[in-house]
Amino acid sequence: MSHVDRTPGRARVGILLIVAIGLLWTLVPLLWMALSSFKSAGDVTAAEPKLFFEPTLRNYQRLFSGANNLGPYIWHSMLAAGISSVLALIVGTIAGYGLSTTRMRGKKHVAFWIISTRMAPIAVVVLPLFLLFRGAGLIDSIPGLVLAYLTFNLPFAIWLMSAFFTEVPAALQESALVEGCTRWQAFWHVVLPLTKSGLVTTFVLCLVFSWNDYAFALVFGGPNSQTLPIAADQLVTQTGIDWGQLTAIGTIVVLPMMLAGLAVRRWLVTGLTLGAVTGE
Amino acid sequence: MTTTLETPPRTDPPRPTRRRPRLGFSAGMMAPGIVLLAILSIVPLLTIIAMSFSRVRLLGGVGFDGAGLTYWVRLFTDIDLAMQWVRTIVFFALTVGLEMLLGLIFALCLWKLMRGRNAILSLFLLPMFVAPVIVGLLGRFLTDSTFGLYSWLLGLIGYQGDILGGQYSAFAAVVAMDIWEWTPLITLIALAGLTSVPASVREAAAIDGANPWQTLRHVILPSISGVLLVALLIRSMDAIRYFDIIAVTTNGGPADATKVVPIRLYETAFRFFDLGYAAAIGLVMLAVTIAIARAFVGVLERKGLTR
Repeated sequence: MSHVDRTPGRARVGILLIVAIGLLWTLVPLLWMALSSFKSAGDVTAAEPKLFFEPTLRNYQRLFSGANNLGPYIWHSMLAAGISSVLALIVGTIAGYGLSTTRMRGKKHVAFWIISTRMAPIAVVVLPLFLLFRGAGLIDSIPGLVLAYLTFNLPFAIWLMSAFFTEVPAALQESALVEGCTRWQAFWHVVLPLTKSGLVTTFVLCLVFSWNDYAFALVFGGPNSQTLPIAADQLVTQTGIDWGQLTAIGTIVVLPMMLAGLAVRRWLVTGLTLGAVTGE
Repeated sequence: MTTTLETPPRTDPPRPTRRRPRLGFSAGMMAPGIVLLAILSIVPLLTIIAMSFSRVRLLGGVGFDGAGLTYWVRLFTDIDLAMQWVRTIVFFALTVGLEMLLGLIFALCLWKLMRGRNAILSLFLLPMFVAPVIVGLLGRFLTDSTFGLYSWLLGLIGYQGDILGGQYSAFAAVVAMDIWEWTPLITLIALAGLTSVPASVREAAAIDGANPWQTLRHVILPSISGVLLVALLIRSMDAIRYFDIIAVTTNGGPADATKVVPIRLYETAFRFFDLGYAAAIGLVMLAVTIAIARAFVGVLERKGLTR
Protein backbone atom coordinates (compact mmCIF):
# COMPACT_ATOMS: atom_id res chain seq x y z
CA MET A 1 0.00 0.00 0.00
CA SER A 2 2.43 2.55 1.20
CA HIS A 3 5.32 1.84 -1.12
CA VAL A 4 3.27 2.49 -4.20
CA ASP A 5 2.70 6.07 -3.08
CA ARG A 6 6.42 6.49 -2.68
CA THR A 7 7.07 5.39 -6.26
CA PRO A 8 7.83 8.64 -8.08
CA GLY A 9 5.50 9.66 -10.88
CA ARG A 10 7.89 9.01 -13.72
CA ALA A 11 8.77 5.53 -12.52
CA ARG A 12 5.09 4.78 -12.15
CA VAL A 13 4.42 5.72 -15.77
CA GLY A 14 7.31 3.46 -16.80
CA ILE A 15 5.88 0.56 -14.83
CA LEU A 16 2.43 1.01 -16.33
CA LEU A 17 3.97 1.16 -19.79
CA ILE A 18 5.86 -2.12 -19.30
CA VAL A 19 2.73 -3.80 -17.95
CA ALA A 20 0.73 -2.58 -20.93
CA ILE A 21 3.32 -3.86 -23.43
CA GLY A 22 3.50 -7.19 -21.59
CA LEU A 23 -0.25 -7.59 -21.73
CA LEU A 24 -0.42 -6.72 -25.43
CA TRP A 25 2.36 -9.21 -26.24
CA THR A 26 0.54 -11.87 -24.24
CA LEU A 27 -3.03 -11.31 -25.33
CA VAL A 28 -2.87 -10.23 -28.98
CA PRO A 29 -2.12 -13.75 -30.33
CA LEU A 30 -4.91 -15.28 -28.25
CA LEU A 31 -7.45 -12.64 -29.18
CA TRP A 32 -6.42 -12.87 -32.82
CA MET A 33 -6.93 -16.62 -32.74
CA ALA A 34 -10.41 -16.30 -31.19
CA LEU A 35 -11.33 -13.51 -33.61
CA SER A 36 -10.11 -15.41 -36.67
CA SER A 37 -12.19 -18.44 -35.73
CA PHE A 38 -15.30 -16.35 -36.46
CA LYS A 39 -14.09 -15.11 -39.83
CA SER A 40 -15.07 -16.38 -43.22
CA ALA A 41 -12.40 -18.03 -45.38
CA GLY A 42 -11.74 -14.84 -47.31
CA ASP A 43 -11.42 -12.68 -44.20
CA VAL A 44 -9.01 -15.06 -42.40
CA THR A 45 -6.39 -14.84 -45.10
CA ALA A 46 -6.95 -11.24 -46.11
CA ALA A 47 -3.64 -9.59 -46.95
CA GLU A 48 -4.58 -6.62 -44.79
CA PRO A 49 -5.58 -7.98 -41.35
CA LYS A 50 -9.22 -7.25 -40.66
CA LEU A 51 -10.31 -6.13 -37.23
CA PHE A 52 -13.89 -5.57 -38.32
CA PHE A 53 -15.70 -8.21 -40.32
CA GLU A 54 -18.98 -10.05 -40.53
CA PRO A 55 -18.79 -12.81 -37.90
CA THR A 56 -19.78 -16.32 -38.88
CA LEU A 57 -20.07 -19.63 -37.05
CA ARG A 58 -19.24 -21.58 -40.18
CA ASN A 59 -15.82 -22.75 -39.00
CA TYR A 60 -17.32 -24.30 -35.88
CA GLN A 61 -20.25 -25.79 -37.78
CA ARG A 62 -17.91 -27.43 -40.25
CA LEU A 63 -15.83 -28.90 -37.42
CA PHE A 64 -18.82 -30.81 -36.16
CA SER A 65 -20.30 -31.98 -39.43
CA GLY A 66 -19.14 -33.90 -42.43
CA ALA A 67 -16.01 -35.98 -42.91
CA ASN A 68 -13.67 -34.61 -40.27
CA ASN A 69 -16.05 -34.48 -37.34
CA LEU A 70 -14.25 -33.31 -34.22
CA GLY A 71 -16.50 -35.26 -31.84
CA PRO A 72 -14.39 -38.45 -31.59
CA TYR A 73 -11.21 -36.42 -31.09
CA ILE A 74 -12.75 -34.54 -28.17
CA TRP A 75 -13.98 -37.81 -26.69
CA HIS A 76 -10.51 -39.41 -26.99
CA SER A 77 -8.88 -36.38 -25.41
CA MET A 78 -11.34 -36.40 -22.53
CA LEU A 79 -10.92 -40.13 -21.95
CA ALA A 80 -7.12 -40.24 -22.13
CA ALA A 81 -6.49 -37.07 -20.13
CA GLY A 82 -9.34 -37.64 -17.68
CA ILE A 83 -8.65 -41.28 -16.83
CA SER A 84 -4.91 -40.79 -16.49
CA SER A 85 -5.41 -37.73 -14.25
CA VAL A 86 -7.91 -39.51 -11.99
CA LEU A 87 -5.64 -42.55 -11.68
CA ALA A 88 -2.59 -40.37 -11.04
CA LEU A 89 -4.51 -38.41 -8.39
CA ILE A 90 -5.77 -41.50 -6.51
CA VAL A 91 -2.53 -43.49 -6.56
CA GLY A 92 -0.39 -40.37 -6.20
CA THR A 93 -2.32 -39.05 -3.19
CA ILE A 94 -1.98 -42.30 -1.29
CA ALA A 95 1.68 -42.73 -2.20
CA GLY A 96 2.35 -39.04 -1.57
CA TYR A 97 1.00 -39.39 1.96
CA GLY A 98 3.25 -42.39 2.48
CA LEU A 99 6.22 -40.45 1.17
CA SER A 100 5.53 -37.45 3.41
CA THR A 101 5.22 -39.55 6.58
CA THR A 102 7.78 -42.29 6.03
CA ARG A 103 11.03 -42.31 7.94
CA MET A 104 12.74 -45.01 5.98
CA ARG A 105 16.39 -44.56 5.24
CA GLY A 106 16.45 -44.52 1.45
CA LYS A 107 13.75 -41.84 1.33
CA LYS A 108 15.95 -39.22 -0.32
CA HIS A 109 16.84 -41.61 -3.11
CA VAL A 110 13.22 -42.60 -3.67
CA ALA A 111 12.24 -38.93 -3.82
CA PHE A 112 14.97 -38.19 -6.33
CA TRP A 113 13.99 -41.14 -8.47
CA ILE A 114 10.38 -39.89 -8.51
CA ILE A 115 11.31 -36.35 -9.57
CA SER A 116 13.75 -37.49 -12.24
CA THR A 117 11.03 -39.72 -13.70
CA ARG A 118 8.79 -36.67 -14.00
CA MET A 119 11.51 -34.63 -15.65
CA ALA A 120 12.70 -37.21 -18.17
CA PRO A 121 12.59 -35.74 -21.70
CA ILE A 122 9.42 -36.81 -23.50
CA ALA A 123 11.33 -37.97 -26.57
CA VAL A 124 13.36 -40.30 -24.35
CA VAL A 125 10.24 -41.83 -22.81
CA VAL A 126 8.39 -42.18 -26.10
CA LEU A 127 11.16 -44.24 -27.66
CA PRO A 128 11.17 -47.35 -25.41
CA LEU A 129 7.42 -47.11 -24.84
CA PHE A 130 6.93 -47.32 -28.61
CA LEU A 131 8.67 -50.72 -28.65
CA LEU A 132 6.96 -51.96 -25.49
CA PHE A 133 3.53 -50.81 -26.68
CA ARG A 134 4.08 -52.42 -30.06
CA GLY A 135 4.91 -55.68 -28.34
CA ALA A 136 1.88 -55.39 -26.05
CA GLY A 137 -0.56 -54.23 -28.74
CA LEU A 138 -1.18 -50.91 -26.99
CA ILE A 139 -0.50 -48.71 -30.03
CA ASP A 140 -3.60 -46.78 -31.10
CA SER A 141 -5.57 -47.47 -27.94
CA ILE A 142 -6.89 -45.29 -25.11
CA PRO A 143 -5.28 -47.53 -22.43
CA GLY A 144 -1.95 -46.99 -24.19
CA LEU A 145 -2.32 -43.22 -24.00
CA VAL A 146 -3.47 -43.42 -20.37
CA LEU A 147 -0.33 -45.40 -19.49
CA ALA A 148 1.86 -43.02 -21.47
CA TYR A 149 0.41 -40.01 -19.62
CA LEU A 150 0.85 -41.77 -16.29
CA THR A 151 4.62 -41.78 -16.91
CA PHE A 152 4.62 -38.05 -16.17
CA ASN A 153 1.38 -37.55 -14.23
CA LEU A 154 2.00 -40.20 -11.58
CA PRO A 155 5.43 -38.96 -10.38
CA PHE A 156 4.08 -35.41 -10.53
CA ALA A 157 1.07 -36.31 -8.37
CA ILE A 158 3.13 -38.27 -5.83
CA TRP A 159 5.67 -35.50 -5.42
CA LEU A 160 3.19 -32.63 -5.34
CA MET A 161 0.72 -34.28 -2.96
CA SER A 162 3.61 -35.17 -0.69
CA ALA A 163 4.54 -31.46 -0.65
CA PHE A 164 0.94 -30.50 0.21
CA PHE A 165 0.81 -33.12 3.00
CA THR A 166 3.97 -31.82 4.66
CA GLU A 167 2.18 -28.47 5.02
CA VAL A 168 -0.45 -30.06 7.28
CA PRO A 169 0.63 -29.64 10.93
CA ALA A 170 1.82 -32.95 12.36
CA ALA A 171 0.08 -32.13 15.65
CA LEU A 172 -3.33 -32.58 13.99
CA GLN A 173 -2.52 -36.13 12.97
CA GLU A 174 -1.02 -36.95 16.36
CA SER A 175 -4.11 -35.77 18.19
CA ALA A 176 -6.31 -37.80 15.85
CA LEU A 177 -4.24 -40.86 16.71
CA VAL A 178 -4.54 -40.11 20.42
CA GLU A 179 -8.31 -39.86 19.99
CA GLY A 180 -8.21 -43.45 18.83
CA CYS A 181 -8.22 -43.13 15.07
CA THR A 182 -6.31 -45.66 13.03
CA ARG A 183 -3.64 -44.17 10.81
CA TRP A 184 -5.90 -44.63 7.80
CA GLN A 185 -8.74 -42.85 9.56
CA ALA A 186 -6.41 -39.99 10.53
CA PHE A 187 -5.42 -39.73 6.87
CA TRP A 188 -8.94 -40.01 5.51
CA HIS A 189 -10.90 -37.90 8.00
CA VAL A 190 -8.33 -35.38 9.20
CA VAL A 191 -5.50 -34.85 6.72
CA LEU A 192 -7.30 -35.30 3.41
CA PRO A 193 -10.05 -32.71 4.02
CA LEU A 194 -7.30 -30.19 4.83
CA THR A 195 -5.60 -30.74 1.48
CA LYS A 196 -8.66 -30.27 -0.74
CA SER A 197 -7.02 -27.38 -2.58
CA GLY A 198 -3.95 -29.55 -3.11
CA LEU A 199 -6.06 -32.34 -4.56
CA VAL A 200 -7.84 -29.99 -6.96
CA THR A 201 -4.59 -28.32 -8.03
CA THR A 202 -2.86 -31.64 -8.64
CA PHE A 203 -5.80 -32.90 -10.68
CA VAL A 204 -6.07 -29.75 -12.78
CA LEU A 205 -2.36 -29.67 -13.58
CA CYS A 206 -2.33 -33.38 -14.50
CA LEU A 207 -5.31 -32.69 -16.75
CA VAL A 208 -3.60 -29.72 -18.44
CA PHE A 209 -0.36 -31.64 -19.05
CA SER A 210 -2.08 -34.63 -20.63
CA TRP A 211 -4.77 -32.69 -22.53
CA ASN A 212 -2.05 -30.57 -24.13
CA ASP A 213 0.22 -33.51 -25.02
CA TYR A 214 1.31 -33.80 -28.61
CA ALA A 215 4.49 -35.90 -28.66
CA PHE A 216 2.98 -39.08 -27.18
CA ALA A 217 -0.25 -38.85 -29.14
CA LEU A 218 1.70 -38.34 -32.35
CA VAL A 219 3.54 -41.66 -32.00
CA PHE A 220 0.99 -43.79 -30.15
CA GLY A 221 -2.23 -42.44 -31.61
CA GLY A 222 -4.20 -43.87 -34.50
CA PRO A 223 -7.71 -43.74 -35.91
CA ASN A 224 -9.13 -45.13 -32.67
CA SER A 225 -7.33 -42.82 -30.28
CA GLN A 226 -6.45 -39.53 -31.96
CA THR A 227 -6.68 -36.56 -29.64
CA LEU A 228 -7.45 -32.88 -30.21
CA PRO A 229 -3.85 -31.64 -30.64
CA ILE A 230 -3.42 -34.24 -33.38
CA ALA A 231 -6.65 -33.09 -35.02
CA ALA A 232 -5.23 -29.57 -35.14
CA ASP A 233 -1.95 -30.82 -36.57
CA GLN A 234 -3.75 -32.85 -39.24
CA LEU A 235 -5.37 -29.75 -40.71
CA VAL A 236 -1.88 -28.84 -41.86
CA THR A 237 -1.68 -30.55 -45.23
CA GLN A 238 0.48 -30.33 -48.31
CA THR A 239 -2.25 -28.55 -50.22
CA GLY A 240 -2.70 -25.81 -47.67
CA ILE A 241 -4.11 -24.99 -44.30
CA ASP A 242 -7.69 -24.08 -43.50
CA TRP A 243 -6.84 -21.39 -40.97
CA GLY A 244 -10.45 -20.66 -40.12
CA GLN A 245 -10.97 -24.20 -38.90
CA LEU A 246 -7.55 -24.35 -37.32
CA THR A 247 -8.14 -21.26 -35.19
CA ALA A 248 -11.52 -22.70 -34.21
CA ILE A 249 -9.90 -25.97 -33.05
CA GLY A 250 -7.25 -23.94 -31.25
CA THR A 251 -9.92 -22.04 -29.36
CA ILE A 252 -11.67 -25.29 -28.43
CA VAL A 253 -8.41 -26.87 -27.18
CA VAL A 254 -7.27 -23.84 -25.23
CA LEU A 255 -10.39 -22.45 -23.55
CA PRO A 256 -11.21 -25.26 -21.08
CA MET A 257 -7.60 -25.52 -19.88
CA MET A 258 -7.38 -21.76 -19.30
CA LEU A 259 -10.54 -21.83 -17.22
CA ALA A 260 -9.33 -24.86 -15.24
CA GLY A 261 -5.91 -23.31 -14.74
CA LEU A 262 -7.24 -19.98 -13.53
CA ALA A 263 -9.62 -21.77 -11.17
CA VAL A 264 -6.61 -22.99 -9.16
CA ARG A 265 -4.53 -19.84 -9.62
CA ARG A 266 -3.90 -19.39 -5.90
CA TRP A 267 -2.06 -22.71 -5.72
CA LEU A 268 -0.41 -22.58 -9.13
CA VAL A 269 2.97 -21.52 -7.73
CA THR A 270 3.05 -24.47 -5.38
CA GLY A 271 1.89 -26.80 -8.12
CA LEU A 272 4.19 -25.69 -10.89
CA THR A 273 7.29 -25.55 -8.68
CA LEU A 274 6.38 -29.00 -7.33
CA GLY A 275 6.04 -27.58 -3.84
CA ALA A 276 9.40 -25.80 -3.81
CA VAL A 277 7.82 -22.33 -3.58
CA THR A 278 4.57 -21.55 -1.82
CA GLY A 279 2.58 -18.47 -2.73
CA GLU A 280 0.19 -16.06 -1.03
CA MET B 1 -2.24 -54.32 4.32
CA THR B 2 -0.86 -56.90 6.73
CA THR B 3 -0.98 -54.34 9.53
CA THR B 4 -4.77 -54.43 9.53
CA LEU B 5 -4.62 -58.11 10.44
CA GLU B 6 -2.56 -57.35 13.53
CA THR B 7 -4.75 -54.49 14.66
CA PRO B 8 -7.00 -55.49 17.55
CA PRO B 9 -10.78 -54.93 17.33
CA ARG B 10 -11.89 -51.27 17.17
CA THR B 11 -13.41 -51.26 20.67
CA ASP B 12 -9.95 -51.48 22.21
CA PRO B 13 -8.55 -48.21 23.48
CA PRO B 14 -5.49 -46.96 21.60
CA ARG B 15 -2.50 -49.00 22.59
CA PRO B 16 1.08 -47.87 22.93
CA THR B 17 2.13 -50.59 20.48
CA ARG B 18 1.05 -48.22 17.68
CA ARG B 19 4.66 -47.11 17.29
CA ARG B 20 5.65 -50.36 15.65
CA PRO B 21 3.58 -50.35 12.46
CA ARG B 22 4.59 -46.73 11.81
CA LEU B 23 7.05 -47.54 9.05
CA GLY B 24 4.77 -50.31 7.83
CA PHE B 25 1.85 -47.98 7.31
CA SER B 26 3.76 -45.39 5.31
CA ALA B 27 5.50 -48.04 3.25
CA GLY B 28 2.17 -49.74 2.64
CA MET B 29 0.69 -46.46 1.41
CA MET B 30 3.64 -45.89 -0.89
CA ALA B 31 3.70 -49.42 -2.27
CA PRO B 32 1.05 -49.24 -5.03
CA GLY B 33 2.33 -45.96 -6.39
CA ILE B 34 5.96 -46.99 -6.24
CA VAL B 35 5.31 -50.34 -7.90
CA LEU B 36 3.30 -48.72 -10.71
CA LEU B 37 5.94 -46.04 -11.18
CA ALA B 38 8.68 -48.66 -11.24
CA ILE B 39 6.87 -50.52 -14.02
CA LEU B 40 6.34 -47.26 -15.92
CA SER B 41 9.90 -46.01 -15.56
CA ILE B 42 12.37 -48.82 -14.94
CA VAL B 43 11.08 -51.12 -17.67
CA PRO B 44 11.34 -48.38 -20.31
CA LEU B 45 14.77 -47.37 -18.96
CA LEU B 46 16.10 -50.92 -19.29
CA THR B 47 14.50 -51.14 -22.73
CA ILE B 48 16.14 -47.97 -24.00
CA ILE B 49 19.52 -49.09 -22.66
CA ALA B 50 19.12 -52.42 -24.42
CA MET B 51 18.03 -50.62 -27.59
CA SER B 52 21.20 -48.54 -27.66
CA PHE B 53 23.26 -51.74 -27.93
CA SER B 54 21.08 -53.46 -30.52
CA ARG B 55 19.75 -53.31 -34.00
CA VAL B 56 16.01 -53.26 -33.42
CA ARG B 57 13.74 -55.21 -35.74
CA LEU B 58 10.13 -54.09 -36.04
CA LEU B 59 8.79 -56.31 -38.79
CA GLY B 60 7.49 -59.71 -37.79
CA GLY B 61 7.41 -58.86 -34.10
CA VAL B 62 9.80 -56.72 -32.13
CA GLY B 63 13.29 -58.19 -31.93
CA PHE B 64 16.79 -57.18 -30.88
CA ASP B 65 20.04 -58.14 -32.64
CA GLY B 66 23.23 -57.35 -30.79
CA ALA B 67 25.07 -54.36 -32.26
CA GLY B 68 27.72 -53.91 -29.60
CA LEU B 69 29.05 -50.41 -29.27
CA THR B 70 28.26 -49.39 -32.87
CA TYR B 71 25.80 -46.66 -31.91
CA TRP B 72 27.86 -45.33 -29.05
CA VAL B 73 30.91 -45.02 -31.28
CA ARG B 74 28.77 -43.25 -33.86
CA LEU B 75 27.40 -40.96 -31.17
CA PHE B 76 30.84 -39.58 -30.41
CA THR B 77 31.87 -39.17 -34.05
CA ASP B 78 28.65 -37.61 -35.36
CA ILE B 79 29.48 -34.03 -36.40
CA ASP B 80 25.84 -33.26 -37.22
CA LEU B 81 24.78 -34.32 -33.75
CA ALA B 82 27.48 -32.16 -32.19
CA MET B 83 26.13 -29.19 -34.17
CA GLN B 84 22.62 -30.02 -32.97
CA TRP B 85 23.82 -30.04 -29.38
CA VAL B 86 25.41 -26.62 -29.89
CA ARG B 87 22.14 -25.38 -31.39
CA THR B 88 20.20 -26.90 -28.49
CA ILE B 89 22.45 -25.09 -26.00
CA VAL B 90 22.04 -21.78 -27.83
CA PHE B 91 18.25 -22.26 -28.01
CA PHE B 92 18.21 -23.23 -24.35
CA ALA B 93 20.36 -20.28 -23.23
CA LEU B 94 18.36 -17.76 -25.27
CA THR B 95 14.91 -18.95 -24.25
CA VAL B 96 15.60 -19.64 -20.59
CA GLY B 97 17.81 -16.53 -20.24
CA LEU B 98 15.29 -14.16 -21.80
CA GLU B 99 12.40 -15.78 -19.95
CA MET B 100 14.21 -15.28 -16.63
CA LEU B 101 15.03 -11.65 -17.45
CA LEU B 102 11.63 -10.65 -18.84
CA GLY B 103 9.77 -12.70 -16.25
CA LEU B 104 11.64 -10.98 -13.43
CA ILE B 105 11.16 -7.50 -14.88
CA PHE B 106 7.45 -8.10 -15.29
CA ALA B 107 7.17 -9.54 -11.77
CA LEU B 108 8.87 -6.45 -10.33
CA CYS B 109 6.47 -4.18 -12.22
CA LEU B 110 3.43 -6.16 -11.10
CA TRP B 111 4.72 -6.15 -7.56
CA LYS B 112 4.92 -2.36 -7.53
CA LEU B 113 1.39 -2.27 -8.91
CA MET B 114 -0.99 -2.75 -6.03
CA ARG B 115 -4.31 -2.22 -7.73
CA GLY B 116 -5.41 -4.80 -10.29
CA ARG B 117 -2.35 -6.99 -9.73
CA ASN B 118 -4.30 -10.23 -9.50
CA ALA B 119 -6.44 -9.57 -12.55
CA ILE B 120 -3.41 -8.62 -14.66
CA LEU B 121 -1.46 -11.63 -13.44
CA SER B 122 -4.36 -13.92 -14.40
CA LEU B 123 -4.41 -12.55 -17.93
CA PHE B 124 -0.65 -12.73 -18.16
CA LEU B 125 -0.65 -16.42 -17.13
CA LEU B 126 -2.94 -17.55 -19.95
CA PRO B 127 -0.22 -18.64 -22.45
CA MET B 128 1.00 -21.32 -20.01
CA PHE B 129 -2.21 -23.27 -20.49
CA VAL B 130 -2.10 -23.22 -24.27
CA ALA B 131 -1.10 -26.55 -25.76
CA PRO B 132 2.41 -26.15 -27.26
CA VAL B 133 1.12 -27.48 -30.61
CA ILE B 134 -1.38 -24.66 -30.71
CA VAL B 135 1.36 -22.17 -29.81
CA GLY B 136 3.34 -23.43 -32.79
CA LEU B 137 0.42 -23.42 -35.21
CA LEU B 138 -0.69 -20.00 -34.00
CA GLY B 139 2.87 -18.80 -34.52
CA ARG B 140 2.73 -20.03 -38.09
CA PHE B 141 -0.56 -18.23 -38.58
CA LEU B 142 0.78 -14.95 -37.20
CA THR B 143 4.02 -15.05 -39.19
CA ASP B 144 2.60 -16.23 -42.51
CA SER B 145 4.17 -14.08 -45.20
CA THR B 146 0.94 -13.30 -47.03
CA PHE B 147 -1.68 -12.79 -44.30
CA GLY B 148 0.05 -13.10 -40.91
CA LEU B 149 -0.75 -10.33 -38.45
CA TYR B 150 2.83 -10.07 -37.23
CA SER B 151 4.36 -10.20 -40.71
CA TRP B 152 2.00 -7.40 -41.64
CA LEU B 153 3.10 -5.37 -38.59
CA LEU B 154 6.74 -6.02 -39.43
CA GLY B 155 5.99 -4.98 -43.00
CA LEU B 156 4.81 -1.61 -41.69
CA ILE B 157 8.25 -0.99 -40.22
CA GLY B 158 9.98 -2.19 -43.35
CA TYR B 159 10.73 -5.86 -42.77
CA GLN B 160 9.68 -7.94 -45.75
CA GLY B 161 10.38 -11.61 -45.98
CA ASP B 162 9.23 -15.06 -45.01
CA ILE B 163 9.93 -15.24 -41.28
CA LEU B 164 9.87 -19.04 -40.96
CA GLY B 165 11.71 -19.37 -44.27
CA GLY B 166 14.93 -17.64 -43.27
CA GLN B 167 17.45 -19.44 -41.11
CA TYR B 168 17.99 -16.72 -38.53
CA SER B 169 14.45 -15.39 -38.54
CA ALA B 170 13.02 -18.91 -38.13
CA PHE B 171 15.29 -19.53 -35.16
CA ALA B 172 14.30 -16.18 -33.65
CA ALA B 173 10.63 -16.98 -34.25
CA VAL B 174 10.68 -20.32 -32.39
CA VAL B 175 12.62 -18.67 -29.57
CA ALA B 176 9.96 -15.94 -29.39
CA MET B 177 7.14 -18.50 -29.29
CA ASP B 178 8.82 -20.33 -26.43
CA ILE B 179 9.30 -17.03 -24.60
CA TRP B 180 5.65 -16.13 -25.17
CA GLU B 181 4.48 -19.37 -23.60
CA TRP B 182 6.84 -19.65 -20.63
CA THR B 183 7.78 -16.15 -19.42
CA PRO B 184 4.56 -16.13 -17.34
CA LEU B 185 5.84 -19.10 -15.33
CA ILE B 186 8.91 -17.14 -14.24
CA THR B 187 6.75 -14.09 -13.45
CA LEU B 188 4.42 -16.22 -11.34
CA ILE B 189 7.26 -17.77 -9.33
CA ALA B 190 9.25 -14.54 -8.95
CA LEU B 191 6.14 -12.64 -7.84
CA ALA B 192 5.49 -15.27 -5.16
CA GLY B 193 9.04 -14.70 -3.95
CA LEU B 194 8.65 -10.91 -4.00
CA THR B 195 5.40 -10.87 -2.04
CA SER B 196 7.06 -12.89 0.70
CA VAL B 197 9.86 -10.32 1.20
CA PRO B 198 8.91 -8.80 4.55
CA ALA B 199 7.99 -5.10 4.44
CA SER B 200 10.33 -4.46 7.37
CA VAL B 201 13.34 -5.42 5.26
CA ARG B 202 12.42 -2.85 2.61
CA GLU B 203 11.68 -0.18 5.19
CA ALA B 204 15.04 -0.77 6.84
CA ALA B 205 16.79 -0.31 3.50
CA ALA B 206 14.86 2.92 2.89
CA ILE B 207 15.74 4.25 6.35
CA ASP B 208 19.40 3.47 5.70
CA GLY B 209 19.11 5.81 2.74
CA ALA B 210 19.25 3.24 -0.05
CA ASN B 211 17.81 4.44 -3.36
CA PRO B 212 15.32 2.16 -5.15
CA TRP B 213 18.02 0.70 -7.40
CA GLN B 214 20.29 -0.12 -4.46
CA THR B 215 17.36 -1.64 -2.57
CA LEU B 216 16.60 -3.85 -5.55
CA ARG B 217 20.21 -4.85 -6.11
CA HIS B 218 21.31 -5.44 -2.53
CA VAL B 219 18.13 -6.24 -0.62
CA ILE B 220 15.35 -7.58 -2.82
CA LEU B 221 17.21 -9.66 -5.39
CA PRO B 222 19.34 -11.46 -2.78
CA SER B 223 16.27 -12.32 -0.74
CA ILE B 224 14.49 -13.92 -3.71
CA SER B 225 17.56 -15.61 -5.15
CA GLY B 226 16.48 -19.03 -3.85
CA VAL B 227 13.07 -18.69 -5.50
CA LEU B 228 14.68 -17.54 -8.76
CA LEU B 229 16.97 -20.56 -8.71
CA VAL B 230 13.97 -22.86 -8.37
CA ALA B 231 12.34 -21.07 -11.31
CA LEU B 232 15.49 -21.45 -13.38
CA LEU B 233 15.83 -25.17 -12.68
CA ILE B 234 12.13 -25.96 -13.26
CA ARG B 235 12.20 -24.07 -16.55
CA SER B 236 15.49 -25.72 -17.58
CA MET B 237 14.12 -29.22 -17.15
CA ASP B 238 10.98 -28.35 -19.11
CA ALA B 239 12.98 -26.64 -21.85
CA ILE B 240 14.69 -29.96 -22.58
CA ARG B 241 11.45 -31.89 -22.18
CA TYR B 242 9.30 -30.18 -24.78
CA PHE B 243 9.91 -29.81 -28.49
CA ASP B 244 6.32 -29.53 -29.80
CA ILE B 245 6.63 -25.91 -30.88
CA ILE B 246 9.56 -26.57 -33.20
CA ALA B 247 8.04 -29.83 -34.39
CA VAL B 248 4.92 -28.13 -35.78
CA THR B 249 6.47 -24.89 -37.04
CA THR B 250 9.75 -25.63 -38.80
CA ASN B 251 10.36 -29.27 -37.86
CA GLY B 252 14.08 -28.53 -37.75
CA GLY B 253 14.30 -26.47 -40.92
CA PRO B 254 15.04 -24.39 -42.86
CA ALA B 255 18.38 -26.01 -43.67
CA ASP B 256 18.59 -27.48 -40.15
CA ALA B 257 18.53 -23.99 -38.59
CA THR B 258 16.17 -25.09 -35.80
CA LYS B 259 17.11 -28.77 -35.56
CA VAL B 260 17.63 -29.27 -31.84
CA VAL B 261 18.50 -32.65 -30.31
CA PRO B 262 14.93 -33.79 -29.47
CA ILE B 263 13.87 -33.11 -33.08
CA ARG B 264 16.88 -35.10 -34.30
CA LEU B 265 15.93 -37.95 -31.97
CA TYR B 266 12.36 -38.03 -33.31
CA GLU B 267 13.54 -37.96 -36.88
CA THR B 268 16.11 -40.70 -36.29
CA ALA B 269 13.58 -42.90 -34.54
CA PHE B 270 10.32 -42.37 -36.34
CA ARG B 271 11.30 -41.28 -39.82
CA PHE B 272 14.41 -43.37 -40.41
CA PHE B 273 13.52 -46.04 -37.83
CA ASP B 274 17.11 -46.13 -36.64
CA LEU B 275 15.88 -46.94 -33.14
CA GLY B 276 19.20 -48.06 -31.68
CA TYR B 277 20.94 -44.81 -32.52
CA ALA B 278 17.97 -42.77 -31.32
CA ALA B 279 18.20 -44.63 -28.01
CA ALA B 280 21.85 -43.66 -27.60
CA ILE B 281 21.01 -40.00 -28.32
CA GLY B 282 18.14 -40.22 -25.85
CA LEU B 283 20.27 -41.63 -23.04
CA VAL B 284 22.63 -38.65 -23.29
CA MET B 285 19.62 -36.30 -23.07
CA LEU B 286 18.40 -38.20 -20.05
CA ALA B 287 21.79 -37.81 -18.34
CA VAL B 288 21.61 -34.04 -18.84
CA THR B 289 18.13 -33.78 -17.28
CA ILE B 290 19.12 -35.97 -14.35
CA ALA B 291 22.04 -33.64 -13.65
CA ILE B 292 19.63 -30.67 -13.55
CA ALA B 293 17.17 -32.61 -11.40
CA ARG B 294 20.04 -33.35 -8.99
CA ALA B 295 20.68 -29.61 -8.67
CA PHE B 296 16.96 -28.96 -8.13
CA VAL B 297 16.74 -31.49 -5.31
CA GLY B 298 19.97 -30.05 -3.89
CA VAL B 299 18.31 -26.63 -3.67
CA LEU B 300 15.26 -28.12 -1.99
CA GLU B 301 17.37 -29.99 0.54
CA ARG B 302 19.26 -26.87 1.46
CA LYS B 303 15.91 -25.24 2.12
CA GLY B 304 14.94 -28.27 4.20
CA LEU B 305 11.90 -28.94 2.04
CA THR B 306 12.36 -32.62 1.39
CA ARG B 307 13.22 -33.37 5.01
